[in-house]
Amino acid sequence: MSYSLTRRRFMQATSSAVAVGALSSVSSRVSAQSSGQITAVLGGGDWGKANIEAYAKPFEAETGIKVIPITDDIPLGQLELMVKANNVTVDVAALAQGSGLLAAKKGILEKIDYSIYEPKNLNGIYDFAKQPFGIASLIYSYNMVYNTEVFPADKPRPLTWAEFWDVEKFPGVRTLVTGQYGSEGPWEEALLADGVPADQLYPMDIDRVFASLDKIKPHIRKWWGSGSEIQQMLHDKVIDIAQSYDGRALLLVDQGAPVEINRNQAKLQWDYWVVPKGSSNVQNAQKFIEFATRADRQAAFAQLFPEGPSNRNAFELIPDQVARKLPTHPDYMKNSVSTNGQWYNDVGPDGLSNTERLMQRWNEWILQ
Amino acid sequence: MSSFYKLGQMPIGLTVPAFAILLVVFGIPTVLLFLISLNAPDFSVTNYYAFFTQPANVRVLFQTIEVSLVATGICLIVGYPTAYLIVTASKSLRITLIALVIIPYLTSGLARTYAWIVILGDRGVINNLLLGLGLIQSPLPLIYNRMAVYIGMVHIMLPLMILPLVSAMMGIDRSFVAAARSMGAGPFTAFRRVFFPLSLPGVRSGSLLVFVFCLGFYITPAALGGLRDAMLSTFIAAQVKSSFDMSRIATAAFILLAVAIIVLSMVGLDLSGTQGRAANPVRKSWLARLSIIRNLKLYLSELPRPYRAKRWAAQLYQAGTASRWPQIIGRVFVVLVMVYLLFPGLIVVVMSFSAGAFLEFPPSGLSLQWYRSFFGDASWNGAAWTSVQIGVEVAILSTIVGTLAAFGLSRMGPGSRSFLTMIIITPITFPVIVVGIATYLGLIELGLIGSQTGIILAHSIGAIGIVVVIVSATLANFDRTLVQAAKSMRAGPLQTFMRVTLPLIRPGLIGGAVFAFLQSFDEAVITSLVGGLSVRTLPLKMLENMRNQIDPTIAAVASLLMLLPLLWIIVFYVLWWKSKAKAQNTLPAPAA
Repeated sequence: MSYSLTRRRFMQATSSAVAVGALSSVSSRVSAQSSGQITAVLGGGDWGKANIEAYAKPFEAETGIKVIPITDDIPLGQLELMVKANNVTVDVAALAQGSGLLAAKKGILEKIDYSIYEPKNLNGIYDFAKQPFGIASLIYSYNMVYNTEVFPADKPRPLTWAEFWDVEKFPGVRTLVTGQYGSEGPWEEALLADGVPADQLYPMDIDRVFASLDKIKPHIRKWWGSGSEIQQMLHDKVIDIAQSYDGRALLLVDQGAPVEINRNQAKLQWDYWVVPKGSSNVQNAQKFIEFATRADRQAAFAQLFPEGPSNRNAFELIPDQVARKLPTHPDYMKNSVSTNGQWYNDVGPDGLSNTERLMQRWNEWILQ
Repeated sequence: MSSFYKLGQMPIGLTVPAFAILLVVFGIPTVLLFLISLNAPDFSVTNYYAFFTQPANVRVLFQTIEVSLVATGICLIVGYPTAYLIVTASKSLRITLIALVIIPYLTSGLARTYAWIVILGDRGVINNLLLGLGLIQSPLPLIYNRMAVYIGMVHIMLPLMILPLVSAMMGIDRSFVAAARSMGAGPFTAFRRVFFPLSLPGVRSGSLLVFVFCLGFYITPAALGGLRDAMLSTFIAAQVKSSFDMSRIATAAFILLAVAIIVLSMVGLDLSGTQGRAANPVRKSWLARLSIIRNLKLYLSELPRPYRAKRWAAQLYQAGTASRWPQIIGRVFVVLVMVYLLFPGLIVVVMSFSAGAFLEFPPSGLSLQWYRSFFGDASWNGAAWTSVQIGVEVAILSTIVGTLAAFGLSRMGPGSRSFLTMIIITPITFPVIVVGIATYLGLIELGLIGSQTGIILAHSIGAIGIVVVIVSATLANFDRTLVQAAKSMRAGPLQTFMRVTLPLIRPGLIGGAVFAFLQSFDEAVITSLVGGLSVRTLPLKMLENMRNQIDPTIAAVASLLMLLPLLWIIVFYVLWWKSKAKAQNTLPAPAA
């Protein structure tokens, strides 16, 4: 906050003349955008492709509003910058749960217009998925995943995170997700491994998290940082037992790789569709989000990319064989834990959010 | 109007466009960044205090310095003998070897890091080979550790060490060594007392260059290193990604910059004091980049130069060598270094023809499908086209602005010239993450984040520096009396420029434009900060692909990118060949 004040004051004094020249180019871009189109951040890889096929293309066909897809992630810092600099070039984006809540707290998101939703569709959407600032786009999970050549189904294998931590009983090469960004990390798993009951994870005891991670640290081959990394490692059979996104593991299963997913103690996480404040196409963006949370669209998406719909009505349209791949299948939901994005954004007396606290501890911990 | 014209006549006036761009995009934001880190307008050092009271920050700062020092040391240990052997090789062999060093230098850094993942991975080339031969039972942990970080970093930095060394060593009059030998010095003494001290400027340039570049590394250590191998840049980049706390980011950036400046000034001052021989005041540590470009020039001008004196010296030197062993060891060493430099590229090229959907070596079958996927996918060829467009615009802008500045600088006194040159090339001597953060701030204020114009400006600040260095080197050999002669024959300034000056400095201009293009075309760190989301360049698309996808399209892209350096070498060769042909045509004329 203080930064933006000082920044403005100094720039007014130093380079206001320079800024004038830049204004023309900005206004020309904005006017070009408002003619019935939206720019949507849809994620990379197969996920981005599925978003385009299931949502962007049919939306264009139905409404005539052109969707310019950006197949990458949008970091929260970048989104905040756009809004603060009043230069919003994105109309719709999918943000991770924690980032969405944080962005809403910072006041950089438009409110979702729930008046344009059909009641049947709206009732189908899970309550946690309906927030004032966004609607969940998909629900995915972090699962324990086996290399079945090392851990075949007919032999004993780790079923809980406590057993994953038991390297004597279940020797094998392991991998966990990196915690360098704080908002994503093996935190909940570390607590489950240490015996914390699933319904008492939050508020998380950060000291206990790292004490538990200390025990597994020497046995982790790689703390993976991206979905492609874990997919390649499982494909190469470098890893015997992993923590992985369910979607990446499912792709491998479908390709015939010796990989199996354990649905027990899965960690559910979700993204929100959001509209950055100051978007020049807010109405079209609202229409896109309404379109993308319809049951039939989410059913189409789930068959392209195996992640859970946020509209439970979608299950009526999804064949059982596909539905069993989704983390939100009713059979799996009861043994899963949900991440509490609110806790991650809670700010302590020292002014640090839990995400920042985790990031700081992680940075110290990796160097120990 | 007339006062504007007068300004253009003054040497300093020609440098105005370059400094204007530099100031707005980089200079003012850097000052702002510093003020932000000091909590201006209240002014306090709380941010710095907060940085140093966090043990993780201090440890990672020391680790960054340590990794950079070790990488620089390895580069020097490997690079010095290589450069020496290149310089003492026969003429044709030397030209080939220099070309082989330049090829990886001009190849995309992302592609090279990626190649090492494939080579060192648990099911990578080396492990698969050893497993296949039955020499090991389970994969050796070659990747995700400090050793892998050094292998990857040294691979990227080694050409930057070898080229300045070769440049410095080629400038050494080898008859000094011969003289020492004739006066009874053994080969080792002659080397230690005569050759080595004379090569020190090259050692200094190369080491500084490599060290400062290493300080700013983050993509390579993150990809090849283990949990512990974090660099300060990694922390800065993670902060940029996850929060918008400019004061913390600015503080970390300035601490990194302070390390760079301290080392630069220490080494720069110290050695230049003892180096009385340094006849050229421009050849100071800050201008380390100059020597690389110089080297290219030397390499070109070396081709036609009569070679008798040096060969005589070489023969004299060889006559004293009792055994052929040193020569054989030397050859083996050079071959090993060249394999190290070129092998990763070869691996990537082979993998790009893979028939499988994963990264595998050796490929299970051969196909062109990943090339089709590159040329057929709009997001790939679109990104490539965007990069080409931006690169060309950067090359045009920075060649014009940089050439004007070089002209202005060439007419100044040596003192102000070297000072102003030093300022113009700061963007290529600062750690890249610092330049990225400063540019980012500058472009926010201009409202140009996420616009093509913004990226062009961001790339140009570095490219202008490169053009200034290359064109200055050309102008140093430029005979000003030719201009005076033209003027005495009543040619106007424009006519003089078009008919006399331009043809003479054309190789420098084209060389500058090519390097400016390359600077832009391969840039990933600054672009990922300032590119917003609406402009997708090829390096950004490659990074996205590496995060989300694992198919060999990226190998196909990397292979195509490797064709580029070959193209550049052809461009340089044709340029040299043309200028040589011209020289032969024009030289006999006065005699006739």
